[in-house]
Amino acid sequence: MRKKISLFIKQNPVFGMTLGLCPLLAITTTFENSYLMGISLLFILILSNSIVSLIRKWVPNKIRIPIYITIIGIFVTILEYLLFTYVPQLKSSLGIYIPLIIVNCLVLGRALGYASRHNLKDSIKDALKMGLGYTFSLSLVGIIREVLGSNTLTLMENTTNVTGYLAKYQVFPTNSIIPNQFFASPAGVLLIVGLLFGLLNMIKGVEEK
Amino acid sequence: MKLVYEKGPYLKDSERTNKIMKRVLLALVPIILFSFYKNGILPFYKGYTNIYGLFQPLILILTAGLTSLGTEFLYNKYLLKIKNPLQGKYAFFPGLFFSLLMSINTPLWMIVMGAFFATVVGKLLFGGFGHNIFNPALVGALFITVSYGALIPGGYLNAFELDTITGPTALATNYIDSFPKVIEAFGGIGNYIFGFIPGTLGETPKLLIIMSFIFLAVTKTIKYLIPLTYVGVVFITTFVIGSVNGLDITFPLFQIFTGGLLLGAVFMATDPVTTPTTRLGQVLFGIGLGLLTVIFRFLTPYPEGVLTSILTMNMLVILIDELGDQSQRKIILKTITLIIGLGLIIGTGFLIGNKIKSPVEVDNNYQIIEKANQKYQVSQKGFGGLIKAEIIFEKDLIKEINIMSQNESLWQNIEKEDYLQKLIDQQDNLEALDTVSGTTITSQALKDLIKNTKDDYKE
Repeated sequence: MRKKISLFIKQNPVFGMTLGLCPLLAITTTFENSYLMGISLLFILILSNSIVSLIRKWVPNKIRIPIYITIIGIFVTILEYLLFTYVPQLKSSLGIYIPLIIVNCLVLGRALGYASRHNLKDSIKDALKMGLGYTFSLSLVGIIREVLGSNTLTLMENTTNVTGYLAKYQVFPTNSIIPNQFFASPAGVLLIVGLLFGLLNMIKGVEEK
Repeated sequence: MKLVYEKGPYLKDSERTNKIMKRVLLALVPIILFSFYKNGILPFYKGYTNIYGLFQPLILILTAGLTSLGTEFLYNKYLLKIKNPLQGKYAFFPGLFFSLLMSINTPLWMIVMGAFFATVVGKLLFGGFGHNIFNPALVGALFITVSYGALIPGGYLNAFELDTITGPTALATNYIDSFPKVIEAFGGIGNYIFGFIPGTLGETPKLLIIMSFIFLAVTKTIKYLIPLTYVGVVFITTFVIGSVNGLDITFPLFQIFTGGLLLGAVFMATDPVTTPTTRLGQVLFGIGLGLLTVIFRFLTPYPEGVLTSILTMNMLVILIDELGDQSQRKIILKTITLIIGLGLIIGTGFLIGNKIKSPVEVDNNYQIIEKANQKYQVSQKGFGGLIKAEIIFEKDLIKEINIMSQNESLWQNIEKEDYLQKLIDQQDNLEALDTVSGTTITSQALKDLIKNTKDDYKE
């Protein structure tokens, strides 16, 4: 069991490989934003990984990065317009970080490092693993940050016009300790991420070199 | 000689470290006693507070120190499993210094939280005494200021002052315009020197702090170069700022004798662990601190310029020490560095002085150009000139805002945020509306415009 947890942490894109930290620091203000960002990335990752894996034999090595970027860019643009049409509130709260998925090092990293060398089935498996791991990390940070920083837990607010549900709860009874402005600010998320890194490394155990 | 980075303080003799800490504690005793007198005894004697208020300053300081001590004890004993958890750790100090930076009105739970944060995040997570990059006390103080700054009731005023003085601390007011008023409001320059002005627990008794500095410098306990350059740079820069604006020598003196500058310079910026060891490094550290403090005070709306600048310079200590070490052998490098530093000091003074030369006049900002039944034509001074607008009322509420002319540099941000619509939506609760980031002055001007027009309409 301990080995499995350790492997899970080690292969986690954020806490194991430190990929895709920019959205992690920027959009984790609410739980909803965090998991929706993770799901968006999962979606892009699956599509781009499968296409990259399918065309891997015809792509010349020298120009593979521009080709991959173009492929990722196509999917991100599709996603952006979909969000813009159906959930405009989410689009405005995620803002620039949706288009920035194009240059997210996680997506490009998996395309270059994994999908371009493996077959379709393995690539999709890898994309699922990475995407879910990323969603998990973002959600974890998002929950901690939202509860400490604004004393609420938003499950569904921006997507209400699609799902029909509004779910936003106050976590603790009104008090003066929480909400704490510090955790709503960028400095707070750096501290949370740093502490989580330390904590997960403690669980995993640092490898002896 | 090669500079070797190890954990500070660099005196290997633990006897010496012990002595240093004892002397610092000794130098703090009069300051703590004065704080007790000013914030506890004086209000009690004049009948403004009860018996708890009498001992409140001591309770706050002790709580902070004991929280620090307890946190470090538990952490070392149960997490790191060290045999003598408190030996040679000076665990009391982060909390003690932290409490001196807090105001008398700080609730006890905030003190506990701040001291805990200071000890854990500022000190223990880095590896304990000698390994920390940032001054732990300042980390805790900044954490509390950022998190709960607005929650402290009464700000910096103690019970006695709350009744006699109506105003924020001297530094919180506009510097240049109201500067003579500020001194008179607190009873002349003597009160500034002896410490009977509003302020945090430890920062007010300037004379005692200066005496502590002399004691610590003569006994070679602290790096005396840092406070000297720090205060010197602030003096020169604000002197230039004052001269550009036609003020005399009292202006730079006022800048030095208000706020936490002296306390920060003598006790926080000379921490043996988080400051440079080379002589040139110490001078550069002081120059950087002075410049940053002046910039934070005059160009940003944020409080705690001293805290922030010390923490910022803490980050650069290794770089500064490297430069100081290199220039030990190269006189040219040393000279160039010092000349650049001097140029920066004077340059910053002139730049800031010219920038604040024509402060926005608060009273004459708003003007009603034309006034019809439900229609106002008004103007408000913004960032780049006058904002002219047409405001249409419907019943008692503003229905429409038409901007007729404006010369704001970042107007597109206002449009992007749809700020005008937000202003209309929240017109009854304008204080709660945030300004648009990056265009604070413009959005504030718009808020004032709406508020003033509404006030006039109601009449």
